[in-house]
Amino acid sequence: MRIGIDIGGTHTDGVLLDGNRLVAAAKVPTHHDNLLESINQVLQAILVGQDPVRVQTLNLSTTLTTNAIVTGKTEPVGMLVSAGPGIAPNHYRIGDHYHLVYGSLDHLGTETSAVDEQDLEEAVAACRDQGVKCFGVASKFSPRNPAHENLMIEALAGHADFISCGHLLSGQLNFGRRIHTLYYNSAVWRTFRAFAAALAASLKGFQLQAEVNILKADGGTMPLARALEMPVQSIFSGPAASVMGILATTRTDQDLIVLDIGGTTTDIAVFAGGQPLLEREGIAIEKRPTLVRAIRVESIGIGGDSLIRVDEGRVTVGPQRIGPCMATGGPAPSLMDAFNIAGMAAFGDVDRSRQGLAALAAEHRLVPEQLAQAAIEAALDTLAAKINALVGEINTKPVYTIHEILTDREIVPARLIAIGGPAAVFKQLLADRLGLEVNVPPLYEVANAIGAALTRTTSHLSLTVDTARGRLSVPMLGIFRPIARGYTLQEATAEAQKLLAADLNQAGVGMPADEIQITQADAFNMVDGGYTSGKNIRVEAQVRPAVVGRLEDGAAAIRIAGPA
Amino acid sequence: MLKATTPLGVIFFPAFDWAISPTHPEREERLLYTQDQFREEGLFDIEGISEHRPLLATDQDIMRAHFCFPSVEAICTESHRISAGGAIQAARLVLERETRRAFALVRPPGHHAMKVVHGNRGFCNINIEAVMIEWIREHYGRKRIAIVDTDCHHGDGTQDVYWHDPDVLFISLHQDGRTLYPGSGFPYENGGPHALGKTVNLPLPPQTSDNGYLYAIEQVVLPILADFKPDLIINSAGQDNHYSDPITNMQFSAQGYARLNELLKPDIAVLEGGYSIKGALPYVNLGICLAMAGCDYSGIREPDYNRAALRESPEIMETIKQTCAYVLDSYFHPPMGDFEKQGEYFIRERKIYYDTDGILEKQREELKDCDQCRGLRLIKTGSSHLLPCLGVELPIDCCPTCEREGHEAFARSGKEFLISQLLDQKNKQFRYLAKE
Repeated sequence: MRIGIDIGGTHTDGVLLDGNRLVAAAKVPTHHDNLLESINQVLQAILVGQDPVRVQTLNLSTTLTTNAIVTGKTEPVGMLVSAGPGIAPNHYRIGDHYHLVYGSLDHLGTETSAVDEQDLEEAVAACRDQGVKCFGVASKFSPRNPAHENLMIEALAGHADFISCGHLLSGQLNFGRRIHTLYYNSAVWRTFRAFAAALAASLKGFQLQAEVNILKADGGTMPLARALEMPVQSIFSGPAASVMGILATTRTDQDLIVLDIGGTTTDIAVFAGGQPLLEREGIAIEKRPTLVRAIRVESIGIGGDSLIRVDEGRVTVGPQRIGPCMATGGPAPSLMDAFNIAGMAAFGDVDRSRQGLAALAAEHRLVPEQLAQAAIEAALDTLAAKINALVGEINTKPVYTIHEILTDREIVPARLIAIGGPAAVFKQLLADRLGLEVNVPPLYEVANAIGAALTRTTSHLSLTVDTARGRLSVPMLGIFRPIARGYTLQEATAEAQKLLAADLNQAGVGMPADEIQITQADAFNMVDGGYTSGKNIRVEAQVRPAVVGRLEDGAAAIRIAGPA
Repeated sequence: MLKATTPLGVIFFPAFDWAISPTHPEREERLLYTQDQFREEGLFDIEGISEHRPLLATDQDIMRAHFCFPSVEAICTESHRISAGGAIQAARLVLERETRRAFALVRPPGHHAMKVVHGNRGFCNINIEAVMIEWIREHYGRKRIAIVDTDCHHGDGTQDVYWHDPDVLFISLHQDGRTLYPGSGFPYENGGPHALGKTVNLPLPPQTSDNGYLYAIEQVVLPILADFKPDLIINSAGQDNHYSDPITNMQFSAQGYARLNELLKPDIAVLEGGYSIKGALPYVNLGICLAMAGCDYSGIREPDYNRAALRESPEIMETIKQTCAYVLDSYFHPPMGDFEKQGEYFIRERKIYYDTDGILEKQREELKDCDQCRGLRLIKTGSSHLLPCLGVELPIDCCPTCEREGHEAFARSGKEFLISQLLDQKNKQFRYLAKE
């Protein structure tokens, strides 16, 4: 059996699955000051009459790190940032303990200036004096050569409770993103560790012996032990849980648009051939780009509670929300009230909707029904424009080979799947506006928790080889070793697959080799002085997000338990 | 976080699956390290700098700029269409005001491709700037356009395409033709009879470094641009003036290239040559992008950069100053060239060698000396591989007489020529005619 829990902004949802059968579901309020309380309530509800020992896996999507960052409840981080020429590292300044250490590596990983020992000593001393215990070390081009980061780690020996290290984070090149990611990772580490300990104790209380995985923004999971090293990866997993929930409850073999329509915003994701599309480099945290891999989710300020306004006769909806809709006691007319007036919904107190809209309509000499219609049209316009722009952007994304330009398949959405509170109301309207079949899958109220329960572990690595220098690098695994001159691309791809499988295995995740996807495999002829000197090989391997099972039909009948 | 003060679109297309041959300078590896540098420096995370994919140039796009013999397909592979399409995308971004400026970082290059094309010269098949400029004029009407070619090699192809066009100012700065391919680009090459002074050549001595190069920009290029008042400035941005370039002899730096672009303020830049792919391109390209976007580029430099060691000698600086004074004066008072005339036609007879493909072309150009328009142009061309072909060009302002004569010449060309191509700028007709 598997448990999936998704801690959301308002509710915490939980499900218990036996194979592909939904056994129990629960929804309780989220206690932001005590997330464990919400988890306990959900577990209590779904484990009624069940043998907890049969639960093998517990997957948890939590807002813990997101909230810690948003509310500023993070720990000071000593950032040691090593760079030489180029864009100045001061542009990435983050936190109150940001120290520059002169030193430089070039794009091949060659040291062009040694690390400035004095800079380094001063930085370490300053952090020590200020009682900083968590660190991030980043050097420019560290995935090509970890030497400078390793030197900085050595200098911190004995002073640190936790160090996030750039090249172990990702093999991807992007110095600024590396710095931001390291900072956030170390800033939430202690909070996450405390939570993990409390969680373990709590699970013991329920007699649960399940392996615990934490959801990531890319829709996959990581074992709890890995999450303790890389807690930042647990950020923004909520939207990913919803997307995986759709994968687990709906037929998704085509190009699809997925909408998660909430009170304030609508999240838009795109599936290509049944696969959710990921961000090219990573998600942004507090507007700072990072290397945290994530499902590409665009948010737009249209939801059930979006405020309706009239400016010089023009009716607009959102992005503002000043409270719930009037039908549920809110202060001003919102989109949901418009649906009530238009006769498309009968949500909450329809009379209150009518009063609110009538007042706004009178102010601008409009008929309430017309105002409602115009508001719904405006919301649809905004949604349709955003969806079209997103698909257009995906279809014109940069590519780097002639082959891709000539053969790249355009994404042509065949269907739209809508989930979230107001989804059913939107169904026919979206179908008419976009000319697409629109499905509102059953069980959408806990689809996120189902997605959490059924998603599998994801992982990735980058492997580069420079046969002229006889060097193979897999930064994320800390592998930098000599290699024979005749090393081939085929050997490199096989090695990448093998290493990724072995790494997952070490974390307790069995993954068949054929589940490891090679997303890039290039070998460039390197020429020096007119002669071929070697090959520059670049391989990217990944385990993509996927669900381990799909829910059986008919499961919709399950009762969703509330708080005890 | 950095922010662009002049939003920049970059069409980065390294063509990782295309090479002239495995060890040729134009090979897959050429922009690999530039991409690494861009990624590590987070260029596309800078607010206001965006990345775009190229468009694909059509037959029509290419036939607006060139006479391709025997056909467009025979001359152009997909790589050339994409490279030209990258330049077109750059123009589209700027003219549609999606970005303020654009840089087409694409390959293969194009500035050695002339009006008539039989094959590859100097790594170029079609002139990607010319294809772009004709696309601009097709979609946005007649414009005054200045091309500043800062490749180390003389932009002889672009010069040839616009030799007779007074709407296009072509300025080339390059290593002295007596010391480098293609061996042309002297100050006396200053435009056709109806476009005198609209071609400007500024040869620079080998070993020219930042001071000399930027002196030429400030003392010659900027005053000429101020006089010409172009609607658009295009930089043919070759990067082979760099001190580490393997096939040239100049001493320009990444800082110099960035400053050049800060001074020139091109609306559009298009990559041309530059083959120091590890030591120069990553830094030069980054410097150009930052300068075009109006970002601070002061920290960009090559690991082995040594300004003092690269500085040009006083003698070289003196030579540069003398050339600059002469070239500037020649723009304002262009000396009349030595134009041969037969009847009412200006005649140019030339042999053109295509070094990459080993083709020798013999060409006779006849330009009608018309007082109503720029004049009908007939180009009779044959090569060691293909005999004989005719190009008929009717200019944008073509008068009725030249128009009639041109269409008659094209209609009867099937009797004499193996293949003819009509390039009618006025009526937008571009087509081939095979021998009867």
